Amino acid sequence: MPKIFIDDHAVEAAEGLTLLRAAESAGIHIPHFCYHPAFAPEGSCRMCLVEIEGLPKLELACSTGVKEGLMVRTMSPKVVEARKGVLEFLLAEHPLDCPICDKAGECKLQDYFEEYGLFRSQFKEAKEKREKKFKLSRNLILDRERCILCTRCVRFLNEITKTEDAGILNRGIHSEVGIFESEFIDNNYSGNLAQICPVGAITDSDFRFKTRVWFLESRESICPLCSRGCNIIIDSHPGYPRTLRTQRVYRVRARKNPDVNFHWICDYGRYGYAYLDEGREDKLVWKKGVAETRLSWDKAAQILTEKVRSLVHRRKNSRIGVVLHTNLTNEEFFLTDRLFRKGLGVEKFFLADPPPGKGDEFLLTADRTANRRGLQEVGLPEQDADPKTLSGLDLLFIFGHYLASGTRPADLKNVLEKIETKALFASHKSSLDSLVDFVIPVPVLAEKSGTVTNIDGRVQTLAAGLGFDGDGVSEWRALLDLAKELKVEPKYFWQLASPETVYLALRKEIPFFK
Amino acid sequence: MDENVLTQHFGVEGLFRIEVYLGQGGYRAVEKALKQMTPAAVLDEVKRASLRGRGGAGFPAGVKWGFVPQDVPKPRYLCVNADEGEPGTFKDRYLMNHNPHLLLEGTIITSYAVGIHAAFIYVRGEYENVALRLESAIAEAYRDGYLGKNILRTGFDLDVAVHRGAGAYICGEETALLESLEGKRGHPRLKPPFPASIGLFQCPTVINNVETLSNIPFIVQNGADWFIKKGLPKDGGTRIFGVSGMVKKPGIYELPLGTKLRTIIFDHAGGMKDGKQLKAVIPGGMSAPILTADEIDLPMDFDSLAGAGSMLGSAAVIVIDRETSILDVLKAVAKFYSHESCGQCTPCRIGTAWINKIVKRLARGAGEQDDIDSIIRLASNIKGKTLCPLGDAAALPILSICQKFRRELEGYLPHA
Repeated sequence: MPKIFIDDHAVEAAEGLTLLRAAESAGIHIPHFCYHPAFAPEGSCRMCLVEIEGLPKLELACSTGVKEGLMVRTMSPKVVEARKGVLEFLLAEHPLDCPICDKAGECKLQDYFEEYGLFRSQFKEAKEKREKKFKLSRNLILDRERCILCTRCVRFLNEITKTEDAGILNRGIHSEVGIFESEFIDNNYSGNLAQICPVGAITDSDFRFKTRVWFLESRESICPLCSRGCNIIIDSHPGYPRTLRTQRVYRVRARKNPDVNFHWICDYGRYGYAYLDEGREDKLVWKKGVAETRLSWDKAAQILTEKVRSLVHRRKNSRIGVVLHTNLTNEEFFLTDRLFRKGLGVEKFFLADPPPGKGDEFLLTADRTANRRGLQEVGLPEQDADPKTLSGLDLLFIFGHYLASGTRPADLKNVLEKIETKALFASHKSSLDSLVDFVIPVPVLAEKSGTVTNIDGRVQTLAAGLGFDGDGVSEWRALLDLAKELKVEPKYFWQLASPETVYLALRKEIPFFK
Repeated sequence: MDENVLTQHFGVEGLFRIEVYLGQGGYRAVEKALKQMTPAAVLDEVKRASLRGRGGAGFPAGVKWGFVPQDVPKPRYLCVNADEGEPGTFKDRYLMNHNPHLLLEGTIITSYAVGIHAAFIYVRGEYENVALRLESAIAEAYRDGYLGKNILRTGFDLDVAVHRGAGAYICGEETALLESLEGKRGHPRLKPPFPASIGLFQCPTVINNVETLSNIPFIVQNGADWFIKKGLPKDGGTRIFGVSGMVKKPGIYELPLGTKLRTIIFDHAGGMKDGKQLKAVIPGGMSAPILTADEIDLPMDFDSLAGAGSMLGSAAVIVIDRETSILDVLKAVAKFYSHESCGQCTPCRIGTAWINKIVKRLARGAGEQDDIDSIIRLASNIKGKTLCPLGDAAALPILSICQKFRRELEGYLPHA
């Protein structure tokens, strides 16, 4: 590997790497606007110019390859001066409307000015007037005054979606990003444009003027809306100092993962975050006839344990059923398998999932849940839960509210009425709530720890991005508690206390997860 | 005028027709190259002739051809840069109008030397009659077997097509020219890769100026030594100087490289117009840094001008007299580059527009004390920092005007 020197640090960089990436690998940031790792270098913003010993001119870090022995300076007076020059040019024609710009706080122009600029404006001329609210798509709005013409958006549409919806119109100072007249950008990945825009030129009407980014907390997560398992960042509002809306989540962004979703997510995943806050189950209740009692999970667990125990005692294990869905974690599938099938000899497992949608040829899959592959690898059956199959049971554990959407309400009611005890573990309210005996609120994937397996068999870790509070319990915790109460394989379950320890057991027992 | 090479037959009636051209010894160089020389021998002769590019940068043509890889399976292309857009430059128009077959001859020989079977002549959009003349010349050459399949029964094939630009200065920059030729927006490409390896349609491509290629037949006919004797050891051949401005006889003058600027203005172009006095000269097209009246004893060749901080560029000599306000010159330069900046890279897009705004304000009488310093600072921030040479083309003349004529410019500032 060639060895180069960046600001006197020796850096070993792979052949073919650019100076910018080599520097990044050594923790040295070279400022840039137009460069984006997903596209071929453009070299137009001129922000990444660096000094290379022996060369008369400054060179682009984004496109110059590493070569043995190169001496690169990223902070020499010449480089600093050139950077200031670029910033001065960009800011000369920039509206400086940061106080009302959604990008403020995460704007590269702002950040770089603070880091490398800090000059006094000497621009005395009239700025060019341009369109400030040009509609690019259903959600995207282009502010041509803020645009620095880095052409990331144009290149995204040329190179990634290959839809070629946008281009540069006019010339020189009059250059502007434009689209075909009367044809909006319309593809399932357009939301990425607002994210890759380094300044506030492309904003998302879904997010526009709703909050300031510095009020948001960014947490890593995995998108559960299809089986791709795109890596995402969830931006939520902690509630203080000010919230204008009751929701926590304001925005979902793509998180880079070259093995899954590169730098992108689809619009279906980006804009489909309302479920995180809307329609959530919030009370753990036990219903006897018309009376509703609020319970703690511990109490509910005791009652459910008794029901199981009495059935098992009477050797009626076959009258216990479990309805699953594929937005559970690998750990939860594994615990279900260990507890119900191996531990209690339950044979009746059913699946109730949201209906499949239409996939595209890029990231979005037809499967609209996150972990079908995990269910398959754990080895749980995939039999659909329909009313006929659910008959002849005395105790039914229902995970998920999806059963309500797939079946006729009357049929479901008939079947469920005949089952003595029904415990529903659901994140969202549904018509099932009135048909069951226990409603136990559970977290959604974004609020859980554990792992999920995507369509390609990649196991990805979820960290609880969002908090889950109030009544209720995570499914993995519920399963562990039930196992312990029931004293099923006490030695085995004793060692399991967290998703991490469950995963260790899972890895040991199921070859796929090794 | 016995020195003349390129323009030697310009007086001949109907030279643009192939039969007249043949009567003057035309296409003999093609015969010689294709029938008696190997491609390598042609390339070697051109290399030895020290033929430097006539478009502006002065890169040795033979070396450029040598960069074209011969071992890739892709086709190779020749692009003739006839997008003569540099203000003050009009030599290629004369060459193509008067002697289009000379350019075709150079095109054929070059293609033969580099192993090219398709050539494009990219003609400036405004040159409609030139394009028409080229097209009829090409038709004649096809008819008489100098173009097409199996040229002169040597087995060599070449097709030539004319492509007209749409009037953008930037498309004279070689990589923007390629983009334009591919049907895209005329934006320069990032280099490397250089066109010699990845050029038109991602294939190896030679791009040469009209005047450069027009020299090739003479090098083949008379040899490299003869060609060098016509010019200088490091700059072979003659040069067509296009003289414009306040001289008695503006026009094109074919002279040996190294002819003194003073000789060009005062002997060949007849000196200053009556009653006019020399103030400044732009020696190589508008993008060349300006020279004052004291600096005209320079020999006009690439190295001498570079040594004096200017450049030979396209050898377009713009003569400015004392009555012409230097602010008007600056205004014209600033306006032109601001108008012609393609807008791709930041310093050129915004810098040229910003300078233009300041200069316009100066001209309105609303200048401020630090304006000239601002222009110099901004031009310095463009210089050497842009994606293509257009940034330097704008910055260098502006810097030189501000530095050499600062006192006159300050006279336009309102007095404090």
